[in-house]
Amino acid sequence: MAVEQEQKSKREPQIREYWRRYRRTARGIIILMEIVVTLIVGLALLFSDIDPSGTAFWATMAATALAATALNFFILDFLLTPLRDLAMAVTNAAGEKPTDPLANPNAPRYSKNGFKPLLQFIYEHAHDEESTKDEKSDSSASPQLKRFESALHETNTGFVIMDAHGKIQYANHAAPVKHDTDDTLQLELLFETNNSFDNWLANCRETAVRSEQSWVRVPNRIVGDEDRRIFNITANYEKGSAAEVVIVAYDATGIFQPEDDELDFISFAAHELRGPITVIRGYLDVLEMELEDQLQDDQRELFKRLVVSANRLSGYINNILNTSKYDRRHLQVHLSEEKLSGIYDTIKDDMQLRAQSQRRMLSVDLPSSLPTIAADRSSIGEVLSNLIDNALKYSNDGGSVSVTAATEGNFVKVSVTDNGIGIPSSVIGNLFHKFYRSHRSRETVAGTGIGLYLCKAIVESHGGQVGVTSTEGQGSTFTFTVPVYASVKDKLQANDYTNAGLISSSDGWIKNHSKYIS
Amino acid sequence: MAIKSILVIEDDRFIGEMYVRSLKHEGYDVDWVVDGHDGLVAVTSKPYDLMMLDIMLPEMRGPEILKALRGGKVDKIPNTRVIVMTNFDQDDESRMAMQHDVDAYLIKAEITPRKLVEVIKGFDKPTSVDEQ
Repeated sequence: MAVEQEQKSKREPQIREYWRRYRRTARGIIILMEIVVTLIVGLALLFSDIDPSGTAFWATMAATALAATALNFFILDFLLTPLRDLAMAVTNAAGEKPTDPLANPNAPRYSKNGFKPLLQFIYEHAHDEESTKDEKSDSSASPQLKRFESALHETNTGFVIMDAHGKIQYANHAAPVKHDTDDTLQLELLFETNNSFDNWLANCRETAVRSEQSWVRVPNRIVGDEDRRIFNITANYEKGSAAEVVIVAYDATGIFQPEDDELDFISFAAHELRGPITVIRGYLDVLEMELEDQLQDDQRELFKRLVVSANRLSGYINNILNTSKYDRRHLQVHLSEEKLSGIYDTIKDDMQLRAQSQRRMLSVDLPSSLPTIAADRSSIGEVLSNLIDNALKYSNDGGSVSVTAATEGNFVKVSVTDNGIGIPSSVIGNLFHKFYRSHRSRETVAGTGIGLYLCKAIVESHGGQVGVTSTEGQGSTFTFTVPVYASVKDKLQANDYTNAGLISSSDGWIKNHSKYIS
Repeated sequence: MAIKSILVIEDDRFIGEMYVRSLKHEGYDVDWVVDGHDGLVAVTSKPYDLMMLDIMLPEMRGPEILKALRGGKVDKIPNTRVIVMTNFDQDDESRMAMQHDVDAYLIKAEITPRKLVEVIKGFDKPTSVDEQ
């Protein structure tokens, strides 16, 4: 480094050298002038009467030379002092080491003769430049900028600026960002796959000049992580700007966390329940297999009841789990081409067993001539079993439940009809609400009140609708529709077989859910 | 190739015994280990036709075992079918990743031994495997 500087100084003259060189030249000129003046005085004396060999002549010459030298050097000093001070100030401002001491701008003579502002200007200018340099390296800034920065540091709202390459230029303390493996900053936000920030940004770059987008309830970490925070995000895009993307992340953990904790609890509790139910159902199966030949008919019946009850319990646990999952907006169904009768086959044995043990007639007519549907097999299976289970529960002893299906436009409509107690028209509108139980059913039939709510959620996430008609005392018909596969095939392929293209927005059915209306 | 030998990696004693008993009843040759590390050792030291893998396991979790076996360039158990059995819902992403490397991904509470036997017998049929 030092060698480099030395070489550099050899190549081009430095600012600091100017002053001494100039002073040298000035002194040289003064001495030269001195000689000229003394010679002129000598010549003048020669033309006068003074004897050139006498003492008077040489005395006059010497006096002239001395007086002129002293005076000239005094004048030279007076004239050069400001130049020296300026040269030193400039040398210092240029970052070089001054050869002479720096002038103090506050010296009384400088304020008197008006030189002070000149010096001050140079000093201040040099200081400004210094702080700009510093700001780049260690982020000390002008007072105003500092205030602004400390305010951004204090707030718990995240603030991120990205350049045109998607690189994070600035992120404040609260911003949901993390250091990647190669130490670059990355956004740390878990968007939904089909409505992510990246998608939006890619889309903006292609089509937009200016755009704004908001996301609600975006977590930075997965459930269970201690540092999980939940944000409401707003992002602004402006093409060509140095700050192409500005992201404001409002920390709404306080609003969403309690609800999430509640859902966590429900979800953990339900998972806990899955262990024992696995064992109960499993061992019933094992015992039934092993004891098949030894059981008497009435014992067989008891076994059936055990199996039916265990299956039901398992179904309810699934309902709770799925509800908590959907409420948390982890709703992502993967739709594929399915036959309705094929879906029913997966729950057929269970349903028949339930009907039999409750002494109900269950007739299912799902013609194989029906077009295939776009469905998530296990979810639609859950809808069917929930509706059938309800119908079995609410019909009379010895009553019948029938399941039928027909094509209706681009949908297949499935109907589950019972001839049971029916539903009063006054409460029919509340049926699909979470935890809703009609006054009468609460007294006579057990249940959690989330089955129908879940059915609606699943069906609407497929782009279908649920419906109900009922006559009190005569029975009810619950219906739901699912899209015919051929009618949505293109949309599905475009959306990677998720339900994104089938529901009106990524919020889907959840828009109707009061918790999300705010 | 019909499935004969099965390795069950399951830390819950009740559930493990349930699978072992019902699968043996069906005539399969079943080994059972309770921790993930032993499971990895077992499946690489003896050629099983099928491995039943839990996700939450002591010592080594299911996804890690799977990664050790099928995460590299070479599939270390090319002739072994794998069924993941869990009661804990993973997030979509991890589930999809695992599903990619296995023959079935099942919820224990949903799959009674009888259904499990159906799934395993389904592998022996030449028709496509149902991964639901």
